[in-house]
Amino acid sequence: MTRSTRFTRRIRIVVAVVVGLVLASPMLYMVAASLMSNTQLSVQPPQVIPSSLHFANYSDAFTGMTQVIQLRSFLNSVIFTTGAVGLQWLLCVTGGLAIAKMHFRGRGFVTAMFAVSLFIPIITTLIPTFIVTYELHLINTYPGLILPIAAQTGFGTLLFRQYMRQMPEELFDAARIDGASWWTIFRRLVVPLAKPATAAYLAISVLTAWNMYLWPLVAAEGGSLQVLTQTLALVGTTGQGEVTPQNVIFASVVIVTLPMILVFVAVQGAFIRGLTGSGVE
Amino acid sequence: MFLAPNLIMFTVFVVLPILGGLLLSFTTWDITNGWPKWVGLANYHRMFSDPLVWQAVVTTLKFIVFGVVPTIFIALGLAILINVQFRFVAAVRSLYLIPAAMSYAASAVVWRYIFLDGPGYGVLDYVISRFGVTPPDWLASQTWALPALDIITVWLSLPAATILYLAALQRIPDSLLEAAALDGAGLVRQVRHIIWPGVRYMTVLVAIVALLSFTNGSFDLVNILTKGDPLYATQTLIYYIFVNGFSYGFFGYAAALSILQIAVVGGLLLALRVFSGLVRR
Repeated sequence: MTRSTRFTRRIRIVVAVVVGLVLASPMLYMVAASLMSNTQLSVQPPQVIPSSLHFANYSDAFTGMTQVIQLRSFLNSVIFTTGAVGLQWLLCVTGGLAIAKMHFRGRGFVTAMFAVSLFIPIITTLIPTFIVTYELHLINTYPGLILPIAAQTGFGTLLFRQYMRQMPEELFDAARIDGASWWTIFRRLVVPLAKPATAAYLAISVLTAWNMYLWPLVAAEGGSLQVLTQTLALVGTTGQGEVTPQNVIFASVVIVTLPMILVFVAVQGAFIRGLTGSGVE
Repeated sequence: MFLAPNLIMFTVFVVLPILGGLLLSFTTWDITNGWPKWVGLANYHRMFSDPLVWQAVVTTLKFIVFGVVPTIFIALGLAILINVQFRFVAAVRSLYLIPAAMSYAASAVVWRYIFLDGPGYGVLDYVISRFGVTPPDWLASQTWALPALDIITVWLSLPAATILYLAALQRIPDSLLEAAALDGAGLVRQVRHIIWPGVRYMTVLVAIVALLSFTNGSFDLVNILTKGDPLYATQTLIYYIFVNGFSYGFFGYAAALSILQIAVVGGLLLALRVFSGLVRR
């Protein structure tokens, strides 16, 4: 490598770091502001580095006059995310296996249907989905919250189908000859072998479910089934927001986002593989 | 049968709403009171003479085009920037990808403070005014509210788009770029003649993914930050559907608007397909 290319390489790395910091700055600012005193937040011009660390903002977000986050909402988000993702995972792995390895009539049609559904997100069929759920008497219930989202199986089924098609046919033939039922094959063979696909699927689906706002908004019309995205949506816009100090609001956003940041950091590689369907790291 | 549970759920909560939505669009229905009443094309007639519909369609198109196009170019630039190996590259890339963990709701709360009007209040206005430029009124301004929502959505869409481009870039052999550099091709010519053609298939995918996330995001951000204000400047079609269905209870009309929404997104996908065909030639 010549001196000049080494020099441009260095510049490029510096630029890459600076741009990265700019892109992450709204999140860095969020964390900084969540640790500031309210006096510091109202200083002009705006400050970006906390002069002292006010960890009490975090406990204030849960308790007292300044409470933003109800434990019940936190629990609802956990139940909604695990319920929707867990059920959807089961549907997608079984469905993916069927489409990838079993022969039946209409297989091509079903596959195409899943593919088309990717372009019609639930937001565009919100009204009829709401009516179906309403007619099933599931509005304001956990099943009503979870089932319509778990049923959005297009992406996951196609992801698992893609992965399972690469599994050698001989593996399945051998298992069949040994007298294994499809159910045994599923449990003993497919689920363990599909772990990388499962990781990729979970990384994307958990983020999507935890961050979902629209469906919970209509399926749990406020009330006791409210999830955390709704909590955040209400903060600051109502009378409640006027009494909630800004630093506590920022702390609340961090509390709500932190689980997903941890998930994201832990499974970043799987997230990338899920998006690209490749081995990029 | 393995596919059955998946297919049943998918049919009830995805296929049925799509078909049901089509039927519903020919009716009026007060959901709490009896069954839908067939009104033929009345909802569609009403749609064509409703000025707010056309304003919403234009707003939606503006929001999507002015969001997706920058996402494509910025993401490609970012991917080129971080497509380099150095010791802390994984950590630096995390800075680029971490906004993917944020929900629209959480982003809305954080950006509301970043966009706060007046040079002494919001961080962004402070930075802009330091450059001697008078910052606009962002969310309160008829001109700037929609671009402000675009900025947030671009920021949220960049991680996935950058990951996809990074995957495409890694398939372009280094030797090709090195040879071009030896021939004296600068960065601009490398991008134009090698990188851009090399990633064009990914550009189509990035555009599709971004298009869908802008369709989704337009609801969350509008509902939390602007409610379609000021003076309908941010009322996207999705939001207008929501208002008609859930604020006014016009389920039939909202269903007809949903068909229009699907047509708009379908039209954009088709335009994208035609456009990418032209580019390929």
